[in-house]
Amino acid sequence: MLRRTSAWVALALLSACSGGGAGGLPSPSATPSAPRKDAATAPATTDIPQRVDALLEAEWKAAGVSPAKPATDAQFLRRAWLDLVGTLPPPEVVTSFLADPAPDKRARAVDALLASPHFAERWAAYWEDVLLRDDAKGNLVDRAAFRAWLRARFADNTPWDHVVRELVGATGKSSPGGPARERRMAAQNAAAEAEAEGVNGATNWIVQYRGGVEDLAGATARTFLGVQIQCAQCHDHKTENWTTTDFRRFAAAFARTRVKPVEEKEKGMARAFEVEDGKRGRPGKKATDEAREIATLAPAALDGTALAGEVPRAELAAWITSPTNPWFGKALVNRVWGLFFGHGFVEPVDDLRPSNPPRAKAVLDALAADFVEHGHDLKRLLRTVCATRAYGLAAGPPAAEATFAAFAPRRLPAPVLLDAVLAATRLDPWIEDTLGERADALRAKMRERFRFVFDVDEDGARAEFDGTIPQALLLLNGPLVGYGSTALSGGALADVLVMPGGDAAKIEALYLRTLSRRPTAEEISRWVQFLDEAAAASEEHAAPPNGSGPLGKIGKKRGWVAKTPRDRAYEDLFWTLLDSSEFAFQH
Amino acid sequence: METQDKPVTIDRRRLLQAGLGGLGAWLARRWLVAPEARAAEASATPTKPRADACIVLWMNGGPSHVDTFDPKPGTKDAGPFRAIKTRAKGVSICEHLPRVAAEAHRLVILRGMTSREGSHERARQLGHTGHIPNPTVDHPALGAWVSARRGDPKAELPAFVSLGGPSAGGGFFGRAHGPFVVREPGRPPEDMAYGPGVSAARFDRRRAALGMLEDSFEKETQSAAVAERRAVFTQAVRMMRSPAAAAFDVSSEPAAVREAYGDTAFGRGCLAARRLVEAGVPFVEVSLDGWDTHEDNFERTKRLMGVLDPAMSALLRDLAERGKLDRTLVVWMGEFGRTPRLNGRGGRDHHPAAWSAVLAGGGVRGGITLGATDAQGEKVVERPVPVADLFATITSAMGLDPLETVPSPGGRPITLTDGGQVVREILL
Repeated sequence: MLRRTSAWVALALLSACSGGGAGGLPSPSATPSAPRKDAATAPATTDIPQRVDALLEAEWKAAGVSPAKPATDAQFLRRAWLDLVGTLPPPEVVTSFLADPAPDKRARAVDALLASPHFAERWAAYWEDVLLRDDAKGNLVDRAAFRAWLRARFADNTPWDHVVRELVGATGKSSPGGPARERRMAAQNAAAEAEAEGVNGATNWIVQYRGGVEDLAGATARTFLGVQIQCAQCHDHKTENWTTTDFRRFAAAFARTRVKPVEEKEKGMARAFEVEDGKRGRPGKKATDEAREIATLAPAALDGTALAGEVPRAELAAWITSPTNPWFGKALVNRVWGLFFGHGFVEPVDDLRPSNPPRAKAVLDALAADFVEHGHDLKRLLRTVCATRAYGLAAGPPAAEATFAAFAPRRLPAPVLLDAVLAATRLDPWIEDTLGERADALRAKMRERFRFVFDVDEDGARAEFDGTIPQALLLLNGPLVGYGSTALSGGALADVLVMPGGDAAKIEALYLRTLSRRPTAEEISRWVQFLDEAAAASEEHAAPPNGSGPLGKIGKKRGWVAKTPRDRAYEDLFWTLLDSSEFAFQH
Repeated sequence: METQDKPVTIDRRRLLQAGLGGLGAWLARRWLVAPEARAAEASATPTKPRADACIVLWMNGGPSHVDTFDPKPGTKDAGPFRAIKTRAKGVSICEHLPRVAAEAHRLVILRGMTSREGSHERARQLGHTGHIPNPTVDHPALGAWVSARRGDPKAELPAFVSLGGPSAGGGFFGRAHGPFVVREPGRPPEDMAYGPGVSAARFDRRRAALGMLEDSFEKETQSAAVAERRAVFTQAVRMMRSPAAAAFDVSSEPAAVREAYGDTAFGRGCLAARRLVEAGVPFVEVSLDGWDTHEDNFERTKRLMGVLDPAMSALLRDLAERGKLDRTLVVWMGEFGRTPRLNGRGGRDHHPAAWSAVLAGGGVRGGITLGATDAQGEKVVERPVPVADLFATITSAMGLDPLETVPSPGGRPITLTDGGQVVREILL
């Protein structure tokens, strides 16, 4: 009883700032917010960014730090592109943005990115990584259908509470996954395809946890509420007053959920599942004590609200996403802030326990309240974050980073870095041109290799740089940057080499392609000096690339256009830009 | 038909000496003694460290214990394999490991390994970190722990190498302590040679230019992350240019040596492991995949033993002949054992309740078995060893503190071995 009371107090504290207070406890019957279609007509976010600015400025004052200088337009544009759509701004976009004198150009650039199809792609990829476990491979979980489902939600700006209700309450058929499925889905309109098959892509999230409800329950609380109740799976939580019974009652909401193969096929064949809620089953003979208790306890939400209806899972989904839920909005806002600033108000981003106090708590509260009040509108939140003064600051001393008074540079996620290399070198369309249909296979191979070396882990937010030697070797000597930086016929550098104008124009073109900014006059003069010196050492430049490996082979077929030692020196320059930290970091 | 001598198990002897007997008494001691008392007991008598390096032979998929190191000839479903005598008195193993049998005087076979993890993912995590998966704590692999505590930051080679990979990661010690994974064991790691059309001089010129860019970016951002990235690049270049990196490449070994290890990826991996350990790498994992024999168990297991037998035996002999075995702990294990009962497809399924692991070399006794399973190999009936205890033993043999507590990033204290107890009987 004592424990329960403390949990209530914690809850009241958490919700106090969203205007809820202990009296405004979430109830399953709370009306879901209406779906909001995103459009250029979305309500202007005039008020909330300024409020965030004022709150943060108060934080800075209190901490005695002065904010870093504002980021340049070029820095801002690159930052927003990488964060919102996960790729570099094309050079022509950079130049026209820099030339645009309009004072609202940043806001317009953000709106354009939010409306682009790449936006949905990028956010679907992010949430696929968060929601599907690493081991959800093979053909039992259909990652492609799940991603297509997510993509449709983000394209539509489906309110976040709807998305989560559809996930937590997902029912219906899943589809078999696997590499062949991935390829087919990539080639077609995946969402329409899945719909035509009568498949609910969201079920894959449930299907991956078919082994037991404990993990499903833990992931639900952690991902959508930032509550680490699974710690109470093994022991009563020492600091947060969660008991194992709290965990088990929460998990009991999933006890009726069945993940059944649609039909028994031959061994080894891909299988589809049907996710549904049936009657409560009796625990099997081999069930652990925990499973036995979960199967028999009365389901309850984290605040003790009984989930007593026919389908407790649906009630739980409604409780989680209710506007009065004290964690739901904060969990999403904190995660998004963490993505954009490299550090959430709370770290780890999914651990909102009271003993893990947030930085700039007032900002988190204000953003979360606004997010919930405005129908859990993700794009409104992103627009707000991008409009804050903090997001528009340059990098600065680490002490300032702690209160978001300076932007903290961070390593680009591996898939984003890979895409950036492919875009800057124009290897991607080049491969497509040369290989046609076989291009997909090579791309898949490169991605696999990159993924392997970088061991993609979106959760691993660490203060320190956590790159590895194989990663450095891949960038220093690997074929991607290696061939990408050579003057391949039809590649990015080849175009630059035949540009009219002298070295300054060529150097600028390469800077725009890679660092998304113009070089300074000092940089240009240093590079001209470098080109002179490197060209003078021409005898070492005589050997053309040997043309081994898949990229080398197609390079050999297409040929190299570097004719002079100076052309070769340009390869060195391009290579250097692609391997630089300025290229590899979000900053 | 080979008759099996009763193995001399020190466990039984010691338990009897102590006036205890059997599993019940052992369990009673394990569970009745408070963890604090056990901790005090363990730290009061630190083991003398013997091993400078550890080579783990990871049998991916879960090797059948009854078909390898814990044979049960004559029992139902034992299958066609016979048991053969080994160089260790009273110890028999499968007939398809004849060369390993000839090295058995160096081995301690743990026949009482036991865990509760029957899924590959969870058991692999357990077998690599000593902890079951925990969504809130990213436990480091054993190799990462060795790297964090034993690794020399100035070393030219990484402290944790995985040949054939992927092993498990650096966990909360950070990715820098994670495995350096070589996909083709015995060959130089990928991307160690200069890129296309790049000579040493051209590479130097590029790096000088890169340094210029990095200087100004580091100054502008004042970011520690940028400085650290540069340090990793410097380390990578040091390794590229280090003569020690030749240890990865077995092509310079005499043909007879390469043949002894076997012309397989695993054989080359074991040979490379020996070379790496000689070059000062403290932790190497070599993996042999394919033990998940849900069907055609005997044919597949026999084929795998054909790969394992020359490689493992040559590694032990080679290390011994070069005077390195005393300082190198070799561990043979997988994620679990396999059901003594055959399924309908001539296969064996996952069996975490009872399985075997093998240790040899640095700090451990040789020529013995410890623990035993019942007549079929279903259950451990003598001296069970949970994975945490195996980890405590390995780390203790390496002079690390199995009870060392480190704060997780969440600030909670984490004991590196999950409270494992050192299996003292097998240590020298």
